[in-house]
Amino acid sequence: MKAIESIPDSKLLLFKSCMVGQEYPGIETATSYVFDRLGVDYCVNDEQSCCTGIGHYTDVFEGLTTAAIAARNFAVAKKCGYPNITCLCSTCYAVNKDACELLNNNTEVREKVNSIFREKGLDDLVYEKGDMNPRTNIYHAVEVLLSKVSRIPDEKKFDFSGVKTASHHACHYYKVKYLDVVGNPENPQLIDTVAEACGASPVRWYEDRSLTCGMGFSQIHLNKNTSLQVTKAKLDSLQREGVELMLHMCPNCQIQYDRYQPVIEKEFGVEYDMVHMNIAQFVALSMGADPYKVCGFQTHSVPLEGFLEKMGII
Amino acid sequence: MIDGTTDRLNKAAVFICHCSGNISEHVDIDAVKKTLKAEGISVFDYEYLCSSQGQSLIKNKIMEGNLDRVVIGSCTPSKHGTLFKKCIQETGLNRAGLEIANLREQCAWVHPERTGATEKALSLLRAKLKRLENIEPLDEIKVDIAQQALVIGGGIAGITTALNLADNGISTFLVEKDSSIGGQMAKIGKIFSPDKLAEECAMCSLSPLMNEVAAHPKITLLTWTEVESLSGSAGNFTIRLKKKPRYVKDSCTACGRCSRVCPTLVEDEFNCGYMDKKAISLRFSQSVPKIYCIDPDYCLQLNGEACGKCADACKTGAIDFSQKEEIVELNVGAVVVATGFEEYDASQKPQYGYGIFENVLTQMELARVLGINGPTKGELLRISDFSKASAVPTPAACTSGRESSSAPSSDSSSDSSSDSSSDPSSALSPGAETPKRIVMIQCVGSRDEKEGGNRYCSRYCCMAALKHASLVKKKYPEMEITICYIDIRAFGFYENYYRAVQETGVNFVRGRPAEVVEKPDKSLVVRVEDTLSQKMRELPADLVVLSAAMTPSPGTRKIASVLNLSQDESGFIKERHSKLKPVDSSLDGIFVCGTAQSPKDVTDTIAQAGLAAIRARAFITDSPKMLDNEIAVINQVLCTRCGECLKCPFEALSLNESGRVVLDPLICTGCGYCTELCKDGAIQIAGFTKPQLKAEIEGVLEEGDVLGFVNSGISSLTCDNIGNSVLTYPSNVKLIKVPTCLVVDRDLVLHAFKHGASSVLFVEDPPDSPRAEIIYPLTTRHVEKLKEELGDSGNRIYFKKTYVPNTKGLAGTFIRLAREGEVIR
Repeated sequence: MKAIESIPDSKLLLFKSCMVGQEYPGIETATSYVFDRLGVDYCVNDEQSCCTGIGHYTDVFEGLTTAAIAARNFAVAKKCGYPNITCLCSTCYAVNKDACELLNNNTEVREKVNSIFREKGLDDLVYEKGDMNPRTNIYHAVEVLLSKVSRIPDEKKFDFSGVKTASHHACHYYKVKYLDVVGNPENPQLIDTVAEACGASPVRWYEDRSLTCGMGFSQIHLNKNTSLQVTKAKLDSLQREGVELMLHMCPNCQIQYDRYQPVIEKEFGVEYDMVHMNIAQFVALSMGADPYKVCGFQTHSVPLEGFLEKMGII
Repeated sequence: MIDGTTDRLNKAAVFICHCSGNISEHVDIDAVKKTLKAEGISVFDYEYLCSSQGQSLIKNKIMEGNLDRVVIGSCTPSKHGTLFKKCIQETGLNRAGLEIANLREQCAWVHPERTGATEKALSLLRAKLKRLENIEPLDEIKVDIAQQALVIGGGIAGITTALNLADNGISTFLVEKDSSIGGQMAKIGKIFSPDKLAEECAMCSLSPLMNEVAAHPKITLLTWTEVESLSGSAGNFTIRLKKKPRYVKDSCTACGRCSRVCPTLVEDEFNCGYMDKKAISLRFSQSVPKIYCIDPDYCLQLNGEACGKCADACKTGAIDFSQKEEIVELNVGAVVVATGFEEYDASQKPQYGYGIFENVLTQMELARVLGINGPTKGELLRISDFSKASAVPTPAACTSGRESSSAPSSDSSSDSSSDSSSDPSSALSPGAETPKRIVMIQCVGSRDEKEGGNRYCSRYCCMAALKHASLVKKKYPEMEITICYIDIRAFGFYENYYRAVQETGVNFVRGRPAEVVEKPDKSLVVRVEDTLSQKMRELPADLVVLSAAMTPSPGTRKIASVLNLSQDESGFIKERHSKLKPVDSSLDGIFVCGTAQSPKDVTDTIAQAGLAAIRARAFITDSPKMLDNEIAVINQVLCTRCGECLKCPFEALSLNESGRVVLDPLICTGCGYCTELCKDGAIQIAGFTKPQLKAEIEGVLEEGDVLGFVNSGISSLTCDNIGNSVLTYPSNVKLIKVPTCLVVDRDLVLHAFKHGASSVLFVEDPPDSPRAEIIYPLTTRHVEKLKEELGDSGNRIYFKKTYVPNTKGLAGTFIRLAREGEVIR
């Protein structure tokens, strides 16, 4: 298990995510907003590239390419002096961790990747065994929020007392590397603890709490009906629990719930009362961030205006 | 050679054992004999020296030759050392006159090459002979053992141990933290047995034993008492006990009037937290001692409110609110820890809904519900219905808890000695229905590698689930029961029981359930993949029963830390050796049994408790005890009383009234730390004095040898195990056994280098026992210091921590150092 005290608050490379950037850019700006207020030392580096995750899991990129791109990104992180990769997306988190382990433990892969770098004159990208440690160099942004949770109440501008929230902990965080997570992977409390610091009342347990979002990368396109049924199962459960706000830590899950909730409502003839956002957007909101300029709620499919009005934010 | 040496050696003789070829096939014994005889030493050999004929040979030769020193070349001294020691002592020789050279595990078995093995055998025998030139007789140290025992924990393990000790004539104290003995077994209505298909009544087996404990003239029962501290050492322990006030005197007749008038309801720990107990109560009807006890946290009178109703109702004047806590001190020779288990906290697996959904319970709770002295008097009900229906004898008092009040019944079933558990009425609300479907989930917190789970199998839960399924089926044949399992472990004769339960129509689904879901009517659904049919299933249930793991009880954890006993990674008290010393704890004179040691069922617990009693009895009756005499000896002539040695980490050394340094032989472990502290050489470890070690070094070493100083504990065992594991290493690796590396000072290391050692290796025990936890850091510091002080030579000093299984690693180190020695040579 990962000790919360071991999460660093300096030299963090805020690892940009393709899904965050193109779907919910507010997650990145909200995370920066919150990090600034919590005294976290981080940087955003434009030389960094996508982790390939989406492409990898839809069989567009094979493992070697993914490992090579990860090695490149590790070099970027080390070169700028911010070697603690901090991901906004749980897929980036899992892919980087996996690639790092592969590069450290599989000499054949490492040498192949390095030979390509050398051939192309990119010697500065060459990865030496142990350059990065998958356990102590790669984090998720929510872990950083959790490590600073005691400071959130000091920065709080809005209190979300009584707001019934439910967390959806991402499978690529809790299930891929389940021995290296904060807390019990069968009973994740990461998002709930942070939400509680903002005054929210999280639902501790609900039916199908451990279900994935249903996206399954290619599954949403190849087996759309099954994919949406999984998503619907959880939405139904949350509707029964009277949840108003569902909190996420992975843009892929957020896409599945936020973009597809209206689709499910239409295709299955149901209606849901809940809205969605990333936990960083929620913390930023509680610290007084602008719902549109910082949190970027205009990019969401399930409108948040009703919720924001009820809270007296707009 | 100085004058007279030959003379002295004439009184020494060497005996070599063939060990039925184990030694003679690798060592040329004739050549060894010839060489030594040429040096004027008597040498004898025999097929088996450990046989009675072999021992007679040794004894006869000692008598005939008027020998005063004997070297035996045989297997490891840890195997037959005691035997040979006894053998030579029978001839009147002092034990210091015996040296054993390990020609088997550390020679014949590890050096396949005959010439090398023969040469090494010679050097080992020579070293021992040389060592004997400096013999100093070892005094016998005798200690009187306190002739009484303490058993901690009054469950079935503690009860069995106490009765076995007492029946063997040992005065025994039995300490129990609760107000009655009986432990977990008292909570279980029925128990399973390996030899029968019928379930037996637990209380029918237990209750007579409990009464026997109370009546036994050799047992002093101390209930409502906890262990505070332990001091002293093996054979003479001083135990401090805290005896909590019961507020009820022994004149209590257990008539129960007090409980009936008591206005305060409390949570009944015995009945899994149901609110069916009064602030003054018996733990259960068959409690021993049968004396009521007041819960000081809830009694109104003790919390400053004028009540005193119980005192008014008591006809014998037994209520005494002025009782105070007492501290009791006992002196005992041996201690048996039988502090038991607790059920795993199943709320750590929220997917199963324990603590969230009312109708999810554990096997232990189901045992209470099925028990005729349980909260429902044995009637199987949904917990959600029962909570609503449970009645309270005096409705006015109920302000909290799971139940709501309803009319008290006449309670005709309760006899004159009615107690808490029979107090609540059995009147149930009409809505209460017998559940129709039960699903049991096995391995909750057992065989679970996830965070918060335990990797081990808890051993009892498969049988507990089968037993409960069988009991329920007998009483409610229509009940649909499904057991979700990973593997059913009905080991040994239990297999018959498993088959019988299968035949009653209980369903078995192989799969670890993912989730339990609660429906609006409080019924449940268990989601599981049937891994045999590879189908997802949703099993409807009115009750879900979790077979929660057995984990060490808080009492077990506390006692382990109070007594400083080694625990395993899960917190169970660790036995010294699972086969050879299965009930010995890490400390001499302290034994362990039952579920404090590892998960087990009642049958296994009783068997183990019997062994613990025998081991404790053997320890106590072996009095006066001869102590290992390889401990510190102080030469008062050389001692300057500087006080440096008082830094002893075990506090074995102290100054007496006249200012002399004195040693407590019971506390000294013979580690040798003091010999390093003493600048005047006034302290030596008997049997390992500097002159003795110097002599052995000179005798054993040839130019270019690797010299290992080996801790006589685990390290020595590991060196022997290299031989047992058919591994080899070069014959120029020579090993000298020492109590710990701390006795090897700078002079000895320099002496080794002077006599040809290419490198010096220290092999130390890992910090895995309370003793080694103290010694290990001292040894690492000691070796670091030696390396620093000796400059260049310091680079030839090596240190290795070794574990018993690590034979390969240690042999590898030997080989590597021997190779480096070759290069230097």
